[in-house]
Amino acid sequence: MSPTLAWGLVLGMAITNTVIRLVPIAAISRLELPEIAHRWLSYIPVSVMAAIVATQVLRPGGNWMLRPDNPYLLASVPTAIVYHFTRSFFGAIVAGILSFLALRYLLG
Amino acid sequence: MRGARLGLPIFLVYMPVGMAFGLAATAAGFTFAQATACSALALAGAGQFIGVAALAGSGNLAAALIATGVVNLRYLLFSATLAPHLKGVPRWQQLLLAHTLTDETFAVNIADARVGRADRFSMTGVGLISWFGWTLGTAIGAAAGSAIGDPSKWGVDFAMPAMFIALLVGQITRRREFVAGALAAVLALVLSAWLPGQWPVVAGAIAAATVMTVTPR
Repeated sequence: MSPTLAWGLVLGMAITNTVIRLVPIAAISRLELPEIAHRWLSYIPVSVMAAIVATQVLRPGGNWMLRPDNPYLLASVPTAIVYHFTRSFFGAIVAGILSFLALRYLLG
Repeated sequence: MRGARLGLPIFLVYMPVGMAFGLAATAAGFTFAQATACSALALAGAGQFIGVAALAGSGNLAAALIATGVVNLRYLLFSATLAPHLKGVPRWQQLLLAHTLTDETFAVNIADARVGRADRFSMTGVGLISWFGWTLGTAIGAAAGSAIGDPSKWGVDFAMPAMFIALLVGQITRRREFVAGALAAVLALVLSAWLPGQWPVVAGAIAAATVMTVTPR
């Protein structure tokens, strides 16, 4: 990898990612949005999270894994249960990773 | 300080995933400085993995930058969603909050804002500790190189999904949010048959939010 290309990617990524994230904040935080826009935005977090979880669990690495022995799918159950009852991110992630490792080991 | 406490779980997840990026970047030919600077300046998670892989595969800088930009288009939505909570926040702090805006910091801050507690200081704390975890993890991964071996054997593959599952469970407080999430999940999965990368997530979320907005409550 040539230094020019690598540094080009580093700086290019820094600029694109900051611009993408800053422009809406800078523009919208000065406006009074209509109620319907607030309503629309209020559904964005849950929709994005659910879409990410669905694709990461059922298409890990970008390939379908629609099988009953999918360790990603099975390990999401204890993760969700632990978070629901403890409200602890850390506990949920530890439970998730441990059950994922155990399932991957058991299911081969 | 409250922000740093809220952000601690993110720190703990970003460390190992950042290490995985440090390993992947050095394996693709990046130096320690390039890999660490990439994480410190971009903080783009999946976008970084994809950008580095695209550059190593094609040698085409423009293609790699477009790939990472597309993956991170969802941040336009997050930024717009967070914006109404950032009225009157000084410009430099908006820049800092924008720079540290990720899926995880967004979810933690928006959940905190919903219960009326998030302010610009707590959000800055969440952002800084997350940035630190990601950058530190990358530096460790890039420095250790192959000495660590394959991070997936420690179950790192499930760290991100586990985090998102917890964030999702925390987001669902009403029936309509459950419906929105279910709709977005199904749409994203169906759309992934045609759309590459993170486009199904972006398109599925936009469609689900729109349907929920125009249907009567």
